Amino acid sequence: MEKVINPIRDYLDENPRTRKILSIMSIVAVVVILVVVGIYSYSLKGFVDRTILSIVDGLALSMLLFLMVSGFFLIFGLCDVINFAHGAFFMLGGFMGFTIYLGTESFLLDLGIFGTNYFVLSIVSFIASAIGSMAVLAIVGGGIEFFTVRRLYGNAIAQILLTVGFMVIITKVAEIIWGSSVISYFITPFSQIGESGYFFISGVFNFGGILIFQIYRVFLIFLGLAIAAVMFVAFRKTRIGLQIQAGIEDSEMVEALGTDIKKLFTIVFMLGAGLAGLSGAVLVPWIGANTGHGLTYLIFAFVIVVVGGAHYGRFEGTFFGALIVGLAMKFCAYFAPALENIIVFIIMAIVLILKPGGLTGS
Amino acid sequence: MKNLLEIQDAHVYIGSFYILQGISLVVPKGEVTLLLGRNGSGKTTTMKTILGIYPPREGKIIWRGGAEDEQDNDSQGEDISKLPTHKIVAKGIGYVPDTRRIFGSLTVEQNLIVSRRKGGLKGDVQDRLDFIFDLFPDMRKFYKQKAKSLSGGQQQMLAVARALMNDNDLLLIDEPTEGLSPLLAKNLISALDKLKEIATILLVEQNFRTVSKLGDNYYIFDNGKIVHQGNNMDELVADKALVAQYLGVSI
Repeated sequence: MEKVINPIRDYLDENPRTRKILSIMSIVAVVVILVVVGIYSYSLKGFVDRTILSIVDGLALSMLLFLMVSGFFLIFGLCDVINFAHGAFFMLGGFMGFTIYLGTESFLLDLGIFGTNYFVLSIVSFIASAIGSMAVLAIVGGGIEFFTVRRLYGNAIAQILLTVGFMVIITKVAEIIWGSSVISYFITPFSQIGESGYFFISGVFNFGGILIFQIYRVFLIFLGLAIAAVMFVAFRKTRIGLQIQAGIEDSEMVEALGTDIKKLFTIVFMLGAGLAGLSGAVLVPWIGANTGHGLTYLIFAFVIVVVGGAHYGRFEGTFFGALIVGLAMKFCAYFAPALENIIVFIIMAIVLILKPGGLTGS
Repeated sequence: MKNLLEIQDAHVYIGSFYILQGISLVVPKGEVTLLLGRNGSGKTTTMKTILGIYPPREGKIIWRGGAEDEQDNDSQGEDISKLPTHKIVAKGIGYVPDTRRIFGSLTVEQNLIVSRRKGGLKGDVQDRLDFIFDLFPDMRKFYKQKAKSLSGGQQQMLAVARALMNDNDLLLIDEPTEGLSPLLAKNLISALDKLKEIATILLVEQNFRTVSKLGDNYYIFDNGKIVHQGNNMDELVADKALVAQYLGVSI
């Protein structure tokens, strides 16, 4: 191919500092324009309030998306399997969380050990639903790996067909049991406590005006951060965490050093599916359980991996990707609701054009 | 048991390519065996075949076989060619691959932790680390660094150290001096010389002159077959015709 002389590009290649300053300036310019438009449309107070609301909601969504996508990333990074069923795992996790919560609640009510202390009862049910959903999905994911995916390592087309098949199967089974995606299941209408149901964090922080925060969303930020912190520490300090990291770089070498790599693959599938189940379960009190989530969240997972650059094997990429996608969606929800569902694709397109390797990639 | 490892007529395919076309070799216990030959002649594939990464379609790989004398009853050995990689390695095999293949995102310390097998080391871990530090004194300095920040020579030390984190009887070392400056290569060879005392070594090397003092036996590979073998390195160095045909760069 003939090389076209491009004086601007040549100049920028020779002066990386100028390029950096220019790119920072252009980002600042875009942000300033958005802020000005925002203030113009909603007045200063409205703008500040909406920004705060967006940040809180966005962070809560980001943390949970991060948990879900880190499972997707681990399976992709170590086993080289693009798990199309991951969104379906997440969706199933939601229903598992919903079912286990109500089951535990009615069991505890029958047992009567907490009496009328509904707060403790609700917390216990919530913890049971999160852990239970994680365990169920870990078994589902591990089972799928052990009985099917294991036979297809190294055969990418067959893996895609297989996991797409599992996505369809799980979604259809869920539709048979819980109905189509027009219905979202929330905990409170089904809860047997009180007249309109009870959930231990159902209140709001009210700062007047539109500044009303769902306490549960604030709680989700901290829950997500706590689980992410546990994961980061576990990856650095435990032998199996280090083995997974090493395996993402070079799984054949890990095997040649004496690790049973097939066992590690099964464990990672269990962990990945378990994380999807956990994030699905703890999101139920906010967005509900819905059979349509499988496809939606699968697409989010793809976008987050591509935007963050995690497809180049960088774990932190999933974190930044989730942060950007979550915040962008919620900013749009408060400022330009029409864009909420397409903003992630706009961002993906921009990132792919400007930095094909994603934000952390080269 | 006389031979730590013996390959009997191994035929290896990678995909549809017929790579090793009937390889037979023995690795006597306590000695250094060299695999020599040009690029693509099948030396690295032989190592990966031993490790079970490319298991042979035909042929056997016998672990701890060969009668030492007539009273040696336990001389049958065990065919390990059908075992999965991690079980083969667990017999006591350490692998130093040709492009080092260290885990760059981990620190040197974490690389060594990952390399330890369950029950692979009888003694104290700290004693083993001290042994490695004696072998490569520089490693103390970069022990806490990320492996991708290391120089080529340091990465090679790490690759060798990884294979020493278990009580391995056999070390498979593939092109250890590749890409190293002559001085670094010399230091590394003298370190390998010390390892002779604790393990049997199977060594692949392009530049056979640098390891001619080290080797006890040698096999020369060409196009997936063994074309020459012997146990006198001096004779090999002197045999100009043989060297030119299979090892040297023709002028």
